[in-house]
Amino acid sequence: MSPSRHGARYVGQPAPRVDALEKVLGSARFLADITLPGMLHARALRSRLPHARIKRLDVSPALAIPSVHAVITNDDFIDHGSYGFPVKDDYMLAHEKVRYVGDAIAAVAAETPEAALAGVQAIICELEPLPIVSDVTQALDDDAPQVGPDRADGEHPNFLSRSIVNAGDAAAELNVADVVLQDEFSTPHQEHAYLETEGALAIPTPEGGVVIYCSNQSPFINRDNVAMALGLPPELVRSIQPPVGGSFGGKDDLNYEASAQCAALALKTGRPVRMIFSREESMVASYKRNAMKMWVEVGAQKDGTLRVCRFRGLLDSGAYASESPFTAWRASIHAMGAYRYAAVDIDVTAVYTNNAFSGAFRGFGNPEVNFAIEQMMDELATKLDMDPMDLRLQNALRLGDHLPHGQKLDESVSLVQCLDAARQKSDWDRKRREFARHNASNEIKKGIGVAALFHGLSLGAEGADYAGATIRIDDNNRIILTSGFTDYGQGSRTVFTLIAAEVLGVRPERIDMLRPDTDTAIESGPTVASRATVLGGNATRLAAANLRHTLDLAAADLLGCQVAQLVRDEETYIGPEERPIPWEDIAAHARSLGLQLSAQGRWQAPSIHWDHNAGRGEPYFAYHFAVQVAEVTVDMGTGQVQVDDIWAVHDLGKVIFPQGAEGQVYGGIAQGLGYALSERIDYVNGYLQQTNFDRYRIPTAPEMPRIHITLLEDALSAGPFGAKNVAEPAMVPTAAAIANAVAHASGRRIRHLPITLEQVLLGRNLMRPATADRARRGLLL
Amino acid sequence: MQITFSLNHQTIEIDAPADITLLTFLREHLGVTGVKDGCDVGECGACAILLDGQLVNSCQLLAPQADGREIITIEGLRAADGGLTDLQRHFIDDGAVQCGFCTPGMILAGEALLAKNPTPDREEIADALAGNLCRCTGYIQIFDAIAATARERQAQTTTGERP
Repeated sequence: MSPSRHGARYVGQPAPRVDALEKVLGSARFLADITLPGMLHARALRSRLPHARIKRLDVSPALAIPSVHAVITNDDFIDHGSYGFPVKDDYMLAHEKVRYVGDAIAAVAAETPEAALAGVQAIICELEPLPIVSDVTQALDDDAPQVGPDRADGEHPNFLSRSIVNAGDAAAELNVADVVLQDEFSTPHQEHAYLETEGALAIPTPEGGVVIYCSNQSPFINRDNVAMALGLPPELVRSIQPPVGGSFGGKDDLNYEASAQCAALALKTGRPVRMIFSREESMVASYKRNAMKMWVEVGAQKDGTLRVCRFRGLLDSGAYASESPFTAWRASIHAMGAYRYAAVDIDVTAVYTNNAFSGAFRGFGNPEVNFAIEQMMDELATKLDMDPMDLRLQNALRLGDHLPHGQKLDESVSLVQCLDAARQKSDWDRKRREFARHNASNEIKKGIGVAALFHGLSLGAEGADYAGATIRIDDNNRIILTSGFTDYGQGSRTVFTLIAAEVLGVRPERIDMLRPDTDTAIESGPTVASRATVLGGNATRLAAANLRHTLDLAAADLLGCQVAQLVRDEETYIGPEERPIPWEDIAAHARSLGLQLSAQGRWQAPSIHWDHNAGRGEPYFAYHFAVQVAEVTVDMGTGQVQVDDIWAVHDLGKVIFPQGAEGQVYGGIAQGLGYALSERIDYVNGYLQQTNFDRYRIPTAPEMPRIHITLLEDALSAGPFGAKNVAEPAMVPTAAAIANAVAHASGRRIRHLPITLEQVLLGRNLMRPATADRARRGLLL
Repeated sequence: MQITFSLNHQTIEIDAPADITLLTFLREHLGVTGVKDGCDVGECGACAILLDGQLVNSCQLLAPQADGREIITIEGLRAADGGLTDLQRHFIDDGAVQCGFCTPGMILAGEALLAKNPTPDREEIADALAGNLCRCTGYIQIFDAIAATARERQAQTTTGERP
């Protein structure tokens, strides 16, 4: 293996995914593949109404069924199973009220899945319907039904959060700007559509605790939630991560509920209890990407210089808060796009409705606002008769600039390079000209569009940002590495393996990177916000460096030299006398010296501060910059949009795991493609209309465009080997780039996702027949 | 009802309930967990198997329909030496695996295609995967793995080596 130009032997070099072997053999044991002796099957009774008071709940008929072993309600949890962060407004099982179709009310454990369903159907549950609010624009009306919890501060109970960004005098700038454009946009809910549904397995322990296997993103949060709901000390709850069949932000809350329900049933019955969601149950009950309505105003000078952005966003949190306050905050931070302004006035408000609930989903507010602001940029370019690429180049954030938020950008700012590369690789200038000519006389039209983005790395001012890792050498000289981060397919276990191998100077095959287990890994916060590579990578780097230091001391002792005199040839240590010593002998010598061959690493993100009241500060410690260009064919006879090519230019700081980084970009673009064209969620009076993949259409293989990836490496000093984030940014600009390409092709500006045939043909969506049956049938109620 | 069929090259005689799907039968009764349950309505392809060489969704068949047939699941797909097949190896080498939940179905879909068409172009590969959903990879590296395997098998055929 030849060293790269950075001199790295493993980092940035081709490598297989560490968990690929078991997956291609079909031997990876996902949650639903684990069956234990005496295991019971659990199922939840879920609400068939979008809003109701629980008048009567009698579980005794279910308990009368011989193979039903236990039934639980909110009374089986401490404080009725109240949980949630940052707002504690949800319950492990509904308390007094249900707030959306699919809200869990009771859970049954039985010998078979069929018996569990019979138990659910036997429960007497009388619901008294309450008025609902499904339209986000009516949520804060005086007479809107109350969905959110009571509050003492005088705000409307359906008000959840407000996030602002303020710079300059936006009103004054709008008055004096040469050009002012104003438009309304909306983005729909989006289903994560992980191929593996939610679920949990709980095993009671002899000491009165419980071991949880759950396909969640954040096992430590799961452990703490289960411990809290059951009144157990955290050390009696262990959460273990099996392989996860996709997540994309979606496997938190419902999996916490499933874990707590299974844990309570397991403690009650003394038997292992497993719950696996059907696809319909998953789609009806699980949280979605927040739907958002946006009103945007931008002002510019005649020469194309941006002056001001005023942005109002209304985010549908649905029945519970979940992560929506954080999503709304991230949306507000990114709402104005990656540009310089004299003034901004941004306000993103999140509200409660009875539309299921929304939470974390890849991009976390940025794909939503990017869809709006990047189309505004194109509208502005049209108005000023400028090329969209030129307009972006003129206003793009550059090294040394200040964000409108007040933060100076002092490293790894590569937007201009991304724009240049995208322009050149896509043959932008020629295509813009030639397509316009072609379209003048053809019904099958061609278009090319661009969208740019910045995306804050990790949690930012959302929360405490740290990570830990452990590393040790076992008696067989295998290296055991742990991290608190979950690999749900994105490849973080391979990233950490390569980093540890690089730092220690050992072959990656020697390293066993474990999946998280709350008994062996170090709590590292949630696996969200594209933070694993930088946070977990740094913790791994430090843990490996600490272990390397121990080995180097042993090597110097064995070779009779100073540490600084040591040379490495692959794994082998060589001293001044040029005698090579195998790595295993160094480890053995370290043991003989009485040295402990284990270490930890902890990394704390650089400190930042955000003033929520002023709407100013340093929201994130670093940013990902990227540009995507989409080329489309639009059939004006049918309204059909086909995406032919996408050029994706992303600055990753440093690529650690090339195959994985490219996989993130491909996969992100596919999710952006579905968001743009086919993924449609309709809540009609609170009832979901798409409950399986027959109606909810995620992109299939034949719909994929050719994708051309360019990865830039403008190193971030705080990143491991200079690396930044990629998972979320990959999907952020795709829908906007496609919408801009559709506008270029058809002359139709589509401001409401998804881009349907009728929007392209008629400029508006047609009404579709709706029914409450589908969601109910999906729950078998 | 009593049925006899071949599962991953082994003959099985067993009493199969008439009211469960072949998917449930394989997973819950025979412990063949490489066959995944993704949607239960025949849309996602995670439960795909080779039935007499044809790619089918096992959630759309009843258990007794296996009678007299030959079934290959991912567990039955191995090279002559018991190790990885070339296609499985290319799935690893080309980054075609992320979460891995769709992977068994994807690999079987790839084998079904290559059995019928040893020299597929990208469009033919994409069409052959139309019934297999993947939410992680965007399919591109899966196309690459199948194309690379096809090229390798062609090269071996022309040089007289056995694939």
